[in-house]
Amino acid sequence: MPLSGPFLQELERIVGASGLVRTLEGRLVYECDMHTFYKGAPDAVALPTRTEEVVEIVNLCRRERVPIVPRGSGTGLIGGAMAPVGGVMIGTNRMDAILEIDLPNRCATVQPGLINLSLTQAVASRGYFFAPDPSSQMVSSIGGNVATNAGGPHCLKYGITANHILGLELVTGAGELVRLGGTAVDRPGYDLLGAAVGSEGTFGIVTAVTVRLLHAAEAVKTILASFTAIEDASEAVSAIIAAGIVPAALEMLDELMIRAINEGTGAGYPKDAAAVLLIELDGPAAEVEAQGERAARICWERGALEVRVAADAAERALLWKGRKEAAGAVGRLAPTYLLQDAVVPRSKLPAIMRELIAIGARHRVQIANVFHAGDGNLHPLILYDDREPDQLARAKAANEELLRACIEMGGTVTGEHGVGLDKAKNLPLQYGEADLNFMYRLRRAFDPDSIMNPGKLLPSHPACGEGFRPARPRVPDGAWI
Amino acid sequence: MAFVPGSAAPDIDEIRKCVHCGICLPQCPTYRVLGEEMDSPRGRIYLMRAAAEGRVGLTETFQRHIDLCLGCRACETACPSGVRFGSLLEATRAQLRRSRSPARRRLLEAFVFSVFPEPVRLGLVLAAFKLYKRSGLRALGRASGALRRLPSLAAMEALLDDVPAAIPMPEVVPACGRLAGRVGLLTGCVQRHLYPHVNRDTARLLSLAGFEVVIPRGQGCCGALELHAGRPEAHAARARALAPAFPADLDFIVTNAAGCGAAMKEYGHRIPELAPFAGRVRDVTEVLAGADLRLGPLDLTVTYHDACHLVHGQRVRHEPRQLLGRIPGLRLVELGDSELCCGSAGVYNLLEPEMARELLDEKLARIAETGARVVAAANPGCLLQIAWGCRERGLDVAIVHPVELLARAADAYQD
Amino acid sequence: MSVAGSSIGEAFVSIAGRDRVRDDFEALAAATVDGLRPRWVVRPASIEQLSRVLALACDGRLGVIPRGAGSSLELGNPPARVDVVLELAELDQVIEYNPDDLTITVQAGISAGALASLLAPRRQWLALDPPGIAARTVGGIVATNASGPRRMRYGASRDLLLGVRFVQADGVVTWGGSKVVKSVSGYDVPKLMVGALGTLGVLAEVTLRLHPLPEAERSWLVLFENARAAQVLVERVLDSPLQPSRLELFNERALRLVSAEYGGVGVAVSIGSVAEAVREQGERLTVIAGSSAGRLVALSEAFWSQAESAMAPPQGATVLHVATLSDRLAGTIGAVEDAFRTVAPRADVRLSGCAALGTLRVLVSDAGVGETAAVTTRLRALVGEVGGSVVVARGSVELRRSIDPWGPVEPCAFALMRSLRDEFDPGRVLNPGRYVGGL
Ligand SMILES: Cc1cc2nc3c(=O)[nH]c(=O)nc-3n(C[C@H](O)[C@H](O)[C@H](O)COP(=O)(O)OP(=O)(O)OC[C@H]3O[C@@H](n4cnc5c(N)ncnc54)[C@H](O)[C@@H]3O)c2cc1C
Ligand code: SF4
Ligand code: SF4
Repeated sequence: MPLSGPFLQELERIVGASGLVRTLEGRLVYECDMHTFYKGAPDAVALPTRTEEVVEIVNLCRRERVPIVPRGSGTGLIGGAMAPVGGVMIGTNRMDAILEIDLPNRCATVQPGLINLSLTQAVASRGYFFAPDPSSQMVSSIGGNVATNAGGPHCLKYGITANHILGLELVTGAGELVRLGGTAVDRPGYDLLGAAVGSEGTFGIVTAVTVRLLHAAEAVKTILASFTAIEDASEAVSAIIAAGIVPAALEMLDELMIRAINEGTGAGYPKDAAAVLLIELDGPAAEVEAQGERAARICWERGALEVRVAADAAERALLWKGRKEAAGAVGRLAPTYLLQDAVVPRSKLPAIMRELIAIGARHRVQIANVFHAGDGNLHPLILYDDREPDQLARAKAANEELLRACIEMGGTVTGEHGVGLDKAKNLPLQYGEADLNFMYRLRRAFDPDSIMNPGKLLPSHPACGEGFRPARPRVPDGAWI
Repeated sequence: MAFVPGSAAPDIDEIRKCVHCGICLPQCPTYRVLGEEMDSPRGRIYLMRAAAEGRVGLTETFQRHIDLCLGCRACETACPSGVRFGSLLEATRAQLRRSRSPARRRLLEAFVFSVFPEPVRLGLVLAAFKLYKRSGLRALGRASGALRRLPSLAAMEALLDDVPAAIPMPEVVPACGRLAGRVGLLTGCVQRHLYPHVNRDTARLLSLAGFEVVIPRGQGCCGALELHAGRPEAHAARARALAPAFPADLDFIVTNAAGCGAAMKEYGHRIPELAPFAGRVRDVTEVLAGADLRLGPLDLTVTYHDACHLVHGQRVRHEPRQLLGRIPGLRLVELGDSELCCGSAGVYNLLEPEMARELLDEKLARIAETGARVVAAANPGCLLQIAWGCRERGLDVAIVHPVELLARAADAYQD
Repeated sequence: MSVAGSSIGEAFVSIAGRDRVRDDFEALAAATVDGLRPRWVVRPASIEQLSRVLALACDGRLGVIPRGAGSSLELGNPPARVDVVLELAELDQVIEYNPDDLTITVQAGISAGALASLLAPRRQWLALDPPGIAARTVGGIVATNASGPRRMRYGASRDLLLGVRFVQADGVVTWGGSKVVKSVSGYDVPKLMVGALGTLGVLAEVTLRLHPLPEAERSWLVLFENARAAQVLVERVLDSPLQPSRLELFNERALRLVSAEYGGVGVAVSIGSVAEAVREQGERLTVIAGSSAGRLVALSEAFWSQAESAMAPPQGATVLHVATLSDRLAGTIGAVEDAFRTVAPRADVRLSGCAALGTLRVLVSDAGVGETAAVTTRLRALVGEVGGSVVVARGSVELRRSIDPWGPVEPCAFALMRSLRDEFDPGRVLNPGRYVGGL
């Protein structure tokens, strides 16, 4: 849907020529996020610097019924920050200021384009940090984190993004600027803040975020345990959780992944291990010490090959560097892959790992694993070469089967990456008509004209994605007034 | 396919190694300044891919985004997939040169490339410059606005504060004490004329470290600038000429200019028979880091700027810091964003003065934050650029090559 | 009316069975809400019954008041209509307890006390500790977003509710969230249900995140002359590596009720961890307390239940929930006490506060409606500066008629709330009028 001349002129008036991308080449590079399988270039990209500009853009688009796609750093893994039906993309990259740091109340207010890690870097010297740490934290934007409700390795102990957002400034699809929540907790009324976090840009554009900052832990201990069988590692995970230890992070890598990472950054993971657990404990020194010993003992009991404790901050950083760059390092294994994000109850880890191996064998695909084992959040990477159509088909079949297996075990379709375009079709596995209907109607309250990030988060309904009425329970006969 | 096929086209397999994760984005100077995808490494690779797939042509817009790239290779350091962006960029630039090149830039490039890689010509131009400066013509030239019409000349005029007198170098500098090995020294085009004392200090330190230093007279240019500008043939010719200038039995070929070192270490990628030569190339800090130097105290607060082609091109990050840290009394303070390009980037500051300016401002702000009075950087381009910036801003900061500090410390040593 | 009424009553009976539908005077009188007597008290035994009851109520445009343990019925505006009181206490089944996953799914009517005894053998717990918790139902706690001192460490309902099955006003049974500890599939519907007082749907079943009980826990009380001095300690503790699980402020009046020995303002600190860490952190706390010129007293676990009784509202008392910023807590405590001293000098004002979060619970007895209303209004102006709020969590009908018990809501946000309420309960079946802005 090409945009009209007057529309573009108006857009340019709002953001200025340097804030508007109209060229074919410029629009093309915005056609996908990290999930390059889904492509859709916007008709224009606006790069505003102020909230007021965003309000104007949304109102302009609303008037003309032009779809809007918000975009942060474009690291999403779900086909989120791309424009399947064109329209205007709003990039937050130039809205990246830290507006306020309020250490006495342990919070900060930032613009949405600020890179996650930059916030922690800004407060680290004073002993604080921003807890959500997606592995993309060195590049993903806080606005993107809020929109996808991003998780990360340390979310096991600290919770995902939603647990750390105190307030949002949001320009809704109706063009209204609303402030939800704030530094003071417990505002009367519905927790719209809670609902808006994770809404993937379908409610509106987040233009400012107030986050909670945490005091850095006194001691940190990182343990690396390697195993000769992935089942042993999975059982160790279950045992650690069942023992009442809540590590800050509990990550697992399988053989294939270990190899790719070792080649990539030289993280020094044991070469001959079939699985590696990265266990991080933090907190008061005495607690970390005691629980660290216990976790190590559990690993030995489950047949660990080796249990290594990072000797210093540098070694710890190296162990983590590998883990954080895993998704990128897969490029060394295969040109393309499908990435899953399903969750199973953590006690089901050993079972799902067995299932995963079987599925890989059945469909003759390689599956690499690197995931947040502590909360049962799998990230199997199903490798394929997109130049061979047959491989893609097999990968897709394996993907589908895996997803169903996870749901059958009581899990969920996505643990942290979000739904986007990619997983919208899978939501019915987990939700019934009534449940989806509730969500459609919720969305409409924020975006009455369905202009915000269309096609994402909810499956398109037969009736054009409009809300529909599920069957109501039967009312007894004769009960009419 | 918009690229002309053949060995000079960007390697599609290399392009495909990019998994579009974006981890390189925040490390890219142009992305940091502009905040737009097509001026990021991921975006540039995506454009290359689109060109390779025939989805876009080698248009002016395409070229604009490639031109704006500094070639600093910070993206390579950041990339967990190991995408060799530098070589993709070189190949893309070569393709662009074949098919298009806007007039203004062509003129500038023609001038730049006729002067810089030719030590003799560069020497002549600089001599003329010296004259021009002393005769007061400079003020006149500036006032007339003649310089402004060619912005690159204006930039160059500003960069070159003064041209020092040449320092004659012997062909061989003997080793002091026990012989540790024999090395060759690349004197470099810019280094030789603008920072002759850096070459002198390098040779001295190597000698103190036990190396016999061979400085071949007829050595030419390493060809780095041409490579980065998409002139692979010219680059190859230079490489082929340079290598034989050094005796084959040297242990190392030492450079003190990061850009030269990075290019020479990669000779083997394009010219397999030069691989053994390339394998012997070392940055001076790599060689000295392992040597037993006797250093006296320097009461200085110093910060260290990572030259792109040293830290990203050669992955030499630790050695210069380690060496400076060994000087008694010297306080080394970390520079914020020390790995961010200062905007010099070979001749980039002449070709893209606006972006270069933004980056320089950023760099100067970080330098000011450190409170250091001395900035060390291991590349002549950075030295020129940062020194110019400091002069302009009235920042009272000295810009030196790390070997200068080491040499002074060696002088200060007393038994 | 009576014909129709009786036909609805019969319909309720046909859904839930005769003994689950009461319309006798005694039952109705006992179920009176804010002076309004319902026409029926219905006690569904299953979610299916609940759903059909609501569908019927919706068609009949009846006003329905869901009721758990009935402990928070004095929260919010007096309802506009009360036709049906829906008793949920019998929806108390445990659906699925997965101790190894630290999750549990229960029906919403289960009491928190019963849940706690179920979890205790595995040394696990639902990390919520609002006052009077044992008797309250889990659904009620979630619907009112009730929390206690440990919220600073474990979060509140929004952080612990993983999944929720609720019945919309029209009877449609709906599920939101998931049964695992981490999920972002679709909108975070559970959060929307927390603190919504059932106005978007009656909570029927909840999946909750559990926590392991700490191996050891100890508490201390640090006494100060005034709130400002106490605030200094709070700030030092929060800016240190100590990881308290409770950091609760009490005013003198509340403390004296616990023990005559305690004078001044007190900060009660609990540390839960492995025994060694508890001991070690206790030592550090001693140092911090010393440097803040506070008097440190070791506490027994009994302190907390005594404090809870001291803060338990007697008949006719008012409870205000004040939310401000953590660094303004001392000032706010001073303002609350000053306001009552000037406006209602005879009032008995007890205060406790979650220091890390900047929330206060103010228990007021012996103050007139007008006086309490005046103080509330004054406090709202004060905490409003930082986006804080003062909610009448409990109070007489008269008080809640004379002032808005919720206080102001930002207009744009309120417009969204109203459109949600209009969307999901246009006929205002569920808790009509009770919620913010009379929704
Ligand atoms: C290497 C790598 C590792 C990763 N690891 C993790 C991980 O550990 N955990 C995890 O959860 N995710 C992970 N991700 C996924 C991704 O980084 C997160 O989803 C991240 O939160 C996206 O941020 P972004 O700024 O890139 O957003 P984008 O990709 O630009 O956008 C994501 C979605 O948010 C919307 N959006 C963006 N900004 C706004 C805004 N201001 N207002 C409204 N909507 C907006 C977009 O429309 C889109 O739907 C990883 C990605 C990569 C590449
Ligand atoms: S970091 Fe590497 S793989 Fe990732 S986008 Fe940049 S170049 Fe591509
Ligand atoms: S070489 Fe430098 S400027 Fe060019 S894309 Fe890479 S990081 Fe950016």
